[in-house]
Amino acid sequence: MTDARAEPPTEVSPPPPPPPVQLTGSPTDFLKGVVGKRVKVRLVSGVDYQGVLSCLDGFMNIALEQTEEHVNGVVTNKYGDAFIRGNNVLYISALEAL
Amino acid sequence: MDVSGTGIQEPFDLIRLSLSERVFVKLRGDRELSGILHAYDGHMNLIMSDVEETIMIVDTESAMAGQGVVNVAKRKMEMLFVRGDSVILVSPPSRT
Repeated sequence: MTDARAEPPTEVSPPPPPPPVQLTGSPTDFLKGVVGKRVKVRLVSGVDYQGVLSCLDGFMNIALEQTEEHVNGVVTNKYGDAFIRGNNVLYISALEAL
Repeated sequence: MDVSGTGIQEPFDLIRLSLSERVFVKLRGDRELSGILHAYDGHMNLIMSDVEETIMIVDTESAMAGQGVVNVAKRKMEMLFVRGDSVILVSPPSRT
C-alpha cells in the first residue's frame, strides 16, 4: 500500500475522507452538480420557477423542463420548457440531493 | 452535458429549436407576448410576428378597497422587435 501524494511528513494522520455529500467546492462545482436535478430558481421579482434544470450558461441563462411558476407559493403557470434570461436570476436552489 | 436526451447543450438551443414556432414570452412590466418567433440574438432581442400582447394592470385604488385588482389589456401587432433586456422568460411550444 503506497501513498502517492507528495506531502511533507506530518505528525498527525490526515482526517478521514469526507462523506460523499460534497458540502465544499466552488459555485461552478455546485452548478455542474445540479444540472439534471430538480431546482427552484428565484428571480429578483420574487417569482419562483421549479423544474428540472436542463442546462445553463455563463450569463446564468437557464433552460428548465417541467417548469412550474410559483407566485406567493401558488402555482400560476406550467411550462414544458422554459428559457429564463440570466439577469433576472436571484438564486438557484437544489430541491434534491446532488 | 446533455441531460434527458433532448439534445440541448446550452439554454439558447431551446430558443433555436423554437424558431418559426409560436412562443410565449414573459416581459418586465407585467407584460406577456404570444407570437411566431422569427429571429433572436445573444441579447435575446426578438423578432416576432402575429403577436398578441397581454398587459396586466394592477389598479391600486381598487386593491386598497379589496376589490378585483388586475385588469387585463390586450392588443395585437403584426410584426414586433423586442429589446432583449426586458425579456424574463421564453417558453417554446411543448416538444413532443
